[in-house]
Amino acid sequence: MHKPLLLNRRELLKLGTGLGVSSLIPLSAVSANTLQTQAHIVILGGGAAGMAMANRLATRLEGGTITLVEPRETHHYQPGWTLVASGVWQPDKTMRPNAQFVPRGVKWVREYAASIDADNKRISLANGATLNYDYLVVATGIQLNYHLIEGMSPTLVGQHGIGSVYASLDGAIRTNQAIQTWLDHGQGKGIFTAAPTPVKCAGAPMKMTFTTLSRLEASGRRDAFDVEYMAPGTSLFSQPWVNEFVKQRFDEQGVTRRHHYRLSAIDPQAKQAEFTFIGPESEFTSHHQLREAEFRRENQPTVIADYDFIHVVPPMSAHDFIKQSALIAQDGPFRGEWLDVDIYTMQHNRYPDVFGIGDVIGAPINKTAASVKAQAPVVEANLLAVMQGNPLPARHTGYTSCPMITGIGKAMLVEFGYEDNFAFMPSFSFIDPTDESWVTWVMKDRMLQPAYYAVLAGQA
Amino acid sequence: MTITGIVTILMFVLAPYIWFIIAGLVIIVALHFSAYLRGYQITRHHSVIALLLAGLVGLTAYVWIPWLTHSKLDYVATVFDWVALTGAAIAAFIVALIVLHPLSYLISDRRIH
Ligand SMILES: Cc1cc2nc3c(=O)[nH]c(=O)nc-3n(C[C@H](O)[C@H](O)[C@H](O)COP(=O)(O)OP(=O)(O)OC[C@H]3O[C@@H](n4cnc5c(N)ncnc54)[C@H](O)[C@@H]3O)c2cc1C
Repeated sequence: MHKPLLLNRRELLKLGTGLGVSSLIPLSAVSANTLQTQAHIVILGGGAAGMAMANRLATRLEGGTITLVEPRETHHYQPGWTLVASGVWQPDKTMRPNAQFVPRGVKWVREYAASIDADNKRISLANGATLNYDYLVVATGIQLNYHLIEGMSPTLVGQHGIGSVYASLDGAIRTNQAIQTWLDHGQGKGIFTAAPTPVKCAGAPMKMTFTTLSRLEASGRRDAFDVEYMAPGTSLFSQPWVNEFVKQRFDEQGVTRRHHYRLSAIDPQAKQAEFTFIGPESEFTSHHQLREAEFRRENQPTVIADYDFIHVVPPMSAHDFIKQSALIAQDGPFRGEWLDVDIYTMQHNRYPDVFGIGDVIGAPINKTAASVKAQAPVVEANLLAVMQGNPLPARHTGYTSCPMITGIGKAMLVEFGYEDNFAFMPSFSFIDPTDESWVTWVMKDRMLQPAYYAVLAGQA
Repeated sequence: MTITGIVTILMFVLAPYIWFIIAGLVIIVALHFSAYLRGYQITRHHSVIALLLAGLVGLTAYVWIPWLTHSKLDYVATVFDWVALTGAAIAAFIVALIVLHPLSYLISDRRIH
């Protein structure tokens, strides 16, 4: 098979030097900002956030030890999975060896962390070894809780009409196949679900709906297919303008929206999904529209719906070993589920030597690689300040970005932050976040992956 | 964003196409050099065919550039979309002309006589 040429990071930087790039960076600027230290910094997780931190800290710290705990050899560019599941990208485009990104001088421990003893500043690894730290950066991402949907397992993705873009790269490939099988069938009902918890890339379930609608329309038989979107809450997306836009667009494109329905069980053999109604009784959709069976489970009305294709979005949380540690949020909306950090400084609310970054943190929005890009310099600056006993200088605005794919070939560049009810924060004045545009699609298709790798390399 | 940041992103953007770009540059240089050896001068040679063909490449770019990006002309909607696509079409026209102009000289009767 033809393999695209991939240059590793060192080759890239060498190439950059060849083009005279090095002359653009005054050496003094690099060395002047470094901090002499004897400290041991442990970074848990080497995904988008952990790898960005490893590269940033490796440049900023002199002396000391940086240990990166990351079990995987392969780095997955997860934002590409939506394009794989939509049949637009070849899967191998989303993979790179982690070795290309781990900076020199950083000790890479290829193991799973198993527990954190925050009071004694100690990490246990899955192989029984322990690591002591002076400072800890938690960047372990998200746990996909498929097991909270009865009968569901990520191994089912691709079979019995089940798709789930989140499961893995393999899951994205099999989701594409499941959609294609449904399309080839020429008719039937597709149900797209959302999760009752915060999820990474909150736009992904909607992107999957929109790209599938494109495929249904391209088949020339759109009318033969029923499409339903089952949301657990009243809104579909946290940004108010986008929320209204998606609702309206779904209505225009013939997507039946039902609110307050949580996917609670699935019967793959029968191709039936059980939804628990979690909203006000007045908004309970007539069960006849869904299917004949209606019953109550734990006093909540429950309905069964037939499907030919279903896109499953699992509930998500921090990993169990984080939940079992003292670092988990003890109260508030993120209690028991997410890492307890100050959403502006990224410092742990109770353990000042601990910082959190990426999907693992308890924050109202933010579970995107774009947020990691904005968080990484904040964590870097604030961690260095803590190491020097200085006040924290940097604040995260909550910046997050989601190229909302509204069809195969077009998208909207949605960027927003915490302030003013998630007001837009456009990076480019010439791109209106409320416009569907080809350029935004091209950015998603061609530019964002390079930008993501630059974030990993600590360069953006 | 820092200059290094921008350069790093550009490096990652170009990385998959680097051999394609190098091969393209080699072909262009080789064409110009062999035409030059046969008396070609860029300002002196006039080729309506090369101009027309390059124009065709530029015009059709409005269709094949969106297609290359897994999209279609229908989705080119905003002013910036049109500016960007027109820029890309002009670039396609220029590259086509740079290739076709010396090529037309090499295969024209004038060179043979
Ligand atoms: C389908 C999909 C589409 C997306 N689309 C977009 C998009 O368009 N734009 C965007 O900005 N973002 C998007 N994202 C989100 C983006 O990929 C994540 O927000 C980003 O990867 C978060 O980085 P992270 O480092 O927190 O987590 P991850 O990148 O998931 O990395 C976590 C790392 O921790 C490691 N780890 C896990 N457990 C342990 C353990 N016990 N010990 C040690 N290491 C451990 C894992 O191996 C992994 O490498 C998308 C995600 C998905 C799944």
